[in-house]
Amino acid sequence: MEYRLKVDDTIIPVEVKKAETNTMTLSFDGKARNVQYSRISDNQIHLIIDGVGTQAFIAGDGDEKTVILRGVPYEVRDADLSRQTRRGKRGPSAMPREVTPPTPSIVVRILVAEGDRVNKGDAVIVVTAMKMETTLTAPFDGTVTKINVVEGDKVMPGQILADIEKDEEEPTEEQDGLADS
Amino acid sequence: MSYDINTNAKFSDRGQGMFKKILVANRGEIARRIMNTCREMGIKTVALYSDADRDAVHVLEADQALCLGDAEPAASYLNIDKIIAAARETGADAIHPGYGFLAENADFAERCEQEGLVFIGPPSRVISELGDKTIARQTMTKSGVPVIPGMNHPESDPEVLVREADAIGYPVLIKAAAGGGGKGMRVVASADELHDACISASSEAAGAFGNGSIYLEKYLTRPRHIEFQILADSHGNVVHLLERECSIQRRHQKIIEETPSPAMTPELRKKMGDAAIAAAQASGYVNAGTVEFLLDEDGSFYFLEVNTRLQVEHPITEMTTGIDIVRCQLEIAAGNPLSIDQKDIKGRGHAIECRIYAEDPGNDFFPSPGKIVFMKEPSGPGIRNDCGIYSGFQVPVEYDPILSKLIVAAENREEAVHRMIEALREYVILGVRTPIPFLIDVLRSEAFRKGETFTDFIGCHFPDWKPERADVETAAIAYIIDELAGKKERPVADNRGGGYGSPWQTLGNWRP
Repeated sequence: MEYRLKVDDTIIPVEVKKAETNTMTLSFDGKARNVQYSRISDNQIHLIIDGVGTQAFIAGDGDEKTVILRGVPYEVRDADLSRQTRRGKRGPSAMPREVTPPTPSIVVRILVAEGDRVNKGDAVIVVTAMKMETTLTAPFDGTVTKINVVEGDKVMPGQILADIEKDEEEPTEEQDGLADS
Repeated sequence: MSYDINTNAKFSDRGQGMFKKILVANRGEIARRIMNTCREMGIKTVALYSDADRDAVHVLEADQALCLGDAEPAASYLNIDKIIAAARETGADAIHPGYGFLAENADFAERCEQEGLVFIGPPSRVISELGDKTIARQTMTKSGVPVIPGMNHPESDPEVLVREADAIGYPVLIKAAAGGGGKGMRVVASADELHDACISASSEAAGAFGNGSIYLEKYLTRPRHIEFQILADSHGNVVHLLERECSIQRRHQKIIEETPSPAMTPELRKKMGDAAIAAAQASGYVNAGTVEFLLDEDGSFYFLEVNTRLQVEHPITEMTTGIDIVRCQLEIAAGNPLSIDQKDIKGRGHAIECRIYAEDPGNDFFPSPGKIVFMKEPSGPGIRNDCGIYSGFQVPVEYDPILSKLIVAAENREEAVHRMIEALREYVILGVRTPIPFLIDVLRSEAFRKGETFTDFIGCHFPDWKPERADVETAAIAYIIDELAGKKERPVADNRGGGYGSPWQTLGNWRP
């Protein structure tokens, strides 16, 4: 049985050569590793890999599991399963396309009204999570067509808090295939 | 020196009196920690909780628990009327405010005084004078304690703030007059950023403290944060319990604290300790408090503020001095004199605390609320975990993201660092992101090992930290085994919800 696993950003092909009760031989790039294991609980597995013992703590399902090894978390996915569900990179480096909170939050201030013109980067809505305020900004130049929340609402990532209709785009050098889809 | 101790009169009259029942007006790990000492002292405890906290640890461990209603802090943990009513209803004789929420709210302390309830903390007048950081600066200046250059009055007019900032010289630090815990604090590098930063700081301060007043101080670029724990009784005795260094901060909030400070010398400790006691005496302080200083690279130190409450990081002092600070707070509030002299207070070994927040260290420490799927606490000699969560607990989005505080103590700093690294490696929290891998890397870094700890530490040494994933093969092996080696007996239909089947489903072939 073969897996193509994605650990964070690295693809790791693994072949399961032999699997018996509580023991397994796996091959990484031709290098065989002998693993004895015992499931301690739903979230805890004891491993003896080539004679060396360690513990793995796991949560999640087949799409994505978090594995913690000696304090360090690894996000592991089945690259073949998750190709179509793969999400964009998280974090401030990723340019948001929509006005949506990065974590479950509460709306504290709405800074625009329907019909307002906004420029890319303008503050639109302020949310708070765990006492930290985050300002959500306009992802592009456009017009606010609808505000979907009121102050005090609990909101989730992916929920669109304000609809912004993008300005008719002048043909520019910038490739922008995803924005209007 | 005379003190206003009306609040404690009924207990001091009684001499060695002690409270029968204490209401803890807080939540999570700190409420639990306070209740632990109460139980040791034979005092009954009352917990309060909001709708979001029905199943929080402090509710589970209290003798009595009362619901305050809506999760919104203003409707629950900040609602003075409801809290006073709860104390009346349960017959509590004293209220412990913990840290945060109403801990440094003078109106709340005053209300307790009026209602004949003992507020476990300083008199309301002292909280009010020290809680306004600008008045505190005036008091310290008068008694010869050095303060950071800056404003001695709060201000809301942006025009005035711009002029003040010009006079102080950039970079300046915006601070909440009622502040603490980094809330409402902003570093401003130039005049064009000042206006927006003031509005956002003021709004955050208003949300956190119910008071949006702000002021400006000169921003020192590379100080150490050093604070002294003080204890003052209502009979005029004041001692300090040595220093804590809390320079490792993110968003102006401490994440690693230690005692003793690697920068401390016996001479400097004497000077700063004396200044801390002078600060306590100048303000007529009663109860446990913390005098915070910034220590500049040239060895000069400046008064920052007095925190008129139990500090988040108080356990490291408890670990090295052997003194239970909460017990001292209760004794002092009951009117009893301190049972220790300055000469009796000795620090032994070295202690470190790491704050474990629900946040993503790989994404600018962004909050990460969610459900704790699984948790395993570290244990062993010299390890203490003041913990506010458990497996299955839903971490609410409404409150501070602190999950627990991991504390270790050892014979010396090097051993304490190793002990903390291993304790962090053993600490498993699944379901939310935590700074554990980041904390491990900080403690392993050469700069930390050498004690080169300044408040710019994270920005300087770990600006774009990502975890070092050294063992991807083991992670892959764990994934595959988790897929192939079925979970413990559990009905197939229920394998995603996290619930457990009834015994009729899970007991298999068991027969009575």
